[in-house]
Amino acid sequence: MREEGEEEMVTPGEMLGKASEVKAGKGAYVADYRNSGILCVFSSLNGLRRTVSPSPDSPDQRPTIEVTGHKAHGAVPEPGSVVIARVTKVMAKTASADIMCVGPKAVQEKFSGIIRQQDVRATEIDRVDMHLSFRPGDIVRALVLSLGDARAYHLSTAKNELGVVSAESTAGATMVPISWTEMQCPLTGQIEQRKVAKVGS
Amino acid sequence: MDPPPPSSAPLLSPAPPPGPGFLDFLLKAVFQRNSKYRVQRMASKAGAALTTYSPAPSRNSRTPIFSDSDVDWVRPDGRGFHQCRPAFFRTGAVNAAAGSAYAEFGNTKVIVSVFGPRESKKAMMYSDVGRLNCSVSYTTFGTSIRGQGSEHKEFSSMLHKALEGAIMLETFPKTTVDVFALVLESGGSDLPVIISCASLALADAGIMMYDLVAGVSVSCLGKNLVIDPMLEEESCQDGSLMLTCLPSRYEVTQLTVTGEWSTANLNEAMQLSLDACSKLAEIMRSCLKEAASGPQD
Repeated sequence: MREEGEEEMVTPGEMLGKASEVKAGKGAYVADYRNSGILCVFSSLNGLRRTVSPSPDSPDQRPTIEVTGHKAHGAVPEPGSVVIARVTKVMAKTASADIMCVGPKAVQEKFSGIIRQQDVRATEIDRVDMHLSFRPGDIVRALVLSLGDARAYHLSTAKNELGVVSAESTAGATMVPISWTEMQCPLTGQIEQRKVAKVGS
Repeated sequence: MDPPPPSSAPLLSPAPPPGPGFLDFLLKAVFQRNSKYRVQRMASKAGAALTTYSPAPSRNSRTPIFSDSDVDWVRPDGRGFHQCRPAFFRTGAVNAAAGSAYAEFGNTKVIVSVFGPRESKKAMMYSDVGRLNCSVSYTTFGTSIRGQGSEHKEFSSMLHKALEGAIMLETFPKTTVDVFALVLESGGSDLPVIISCASLALADAGIMMYDLVAGVSVSCLGKNLVIDPMLEEESCQDGSLMLTCLPSRYEVTQLTVTGEWSTANLNEAMQLSLDACSKLAEIMRSCLKEAASGPQD
């Protein structure tokens, strides 16, 4: 059979194996083969197929077949993914942000996200001042909570490693983080308040 | 003496039922002279009127173009009746789009670009499955007649119907995939070429699909079936059938039949187009694989 690590180009709809022998991972799905009653695993993407061996302690010992798209296409935000967004509007109880990257991938066209007052931080969530947490133009790292409504995804910065990653001071320089609530401008020494993300160890 | 009850199977009864007089003579004359009509007679007293009749489908009343041969048509480009035009596909034609494909079948040239999944317009309501938005347009130099024909306006919604069965809409909730098809030159059998090219563009864009969609159309000219018709053949056809299917899943996503068809011709046309779709799918798959392995060399 095929060794692990060997890759082959597959197209959507190609049969990858029988469902009794392999599991369908990302980029593959299980369906009936031409109404014959035999379930087979088909590919749903155009890309390279990879076989992942099962972990030795799982009850199901079938290898998983995954298909990864060969083109680095724009990603779509999904609940649970960490995104990088730029804040566009700050209001009394919410802040709007444009999602620019999903995980390591950049999106092709921006998605709209919204950070609500109760999702800015984990403690004292009713006493959050939005203007002391974000300013328009800040780059934040956030987590997608849910798909939200028709207009925007719901984002959250309520973790240590989430929050403002990079911000510009009123003088125009990139600020340096001092604590989890303050950033300082290197040119003027002014300290501004933000909800800062903890970067690094 | 009552006449025996009428049998429904044979068109012509071997001996006319005995019965009195003029009505029976009339029936016999009708049967012998004109075999097109089958008459049902209610068994009962003499002089009972004819209550129902059902005309059988008439044979072709049009004079054949070639009176001394079996065929009604000779194809302008010399193809056999069951031979498709050579297909050329290329993906990655448009850099700005997420995925794109160009298809050329003889004189029909189509380019399709796919954008997405991207954010739906704010005015649209929330939906937890993705949306597909299709638009087919013709260039001003694409057709020999001015303006768009009456059928071209429906191509956008027909493309939508053909593709929506193949795309896994639940993998991109709340977002929209836009498919824009532009016909650069219309040389007959436009919509199947558009559909096949659009499914290649979707595969190129990385949209998850159940299978590629291959489309083929068959024209009925007199009693001949002609596959992949050209513009001249389409303008004098009696009926047309367009079928798009998912070849390796063996499922049909769209079937459009217009015009006059006899049942036998319809069955044969469907079998023909299913077979042609599976062969077209092979060509589409090899194009996708070549495109992926080409730039790596």
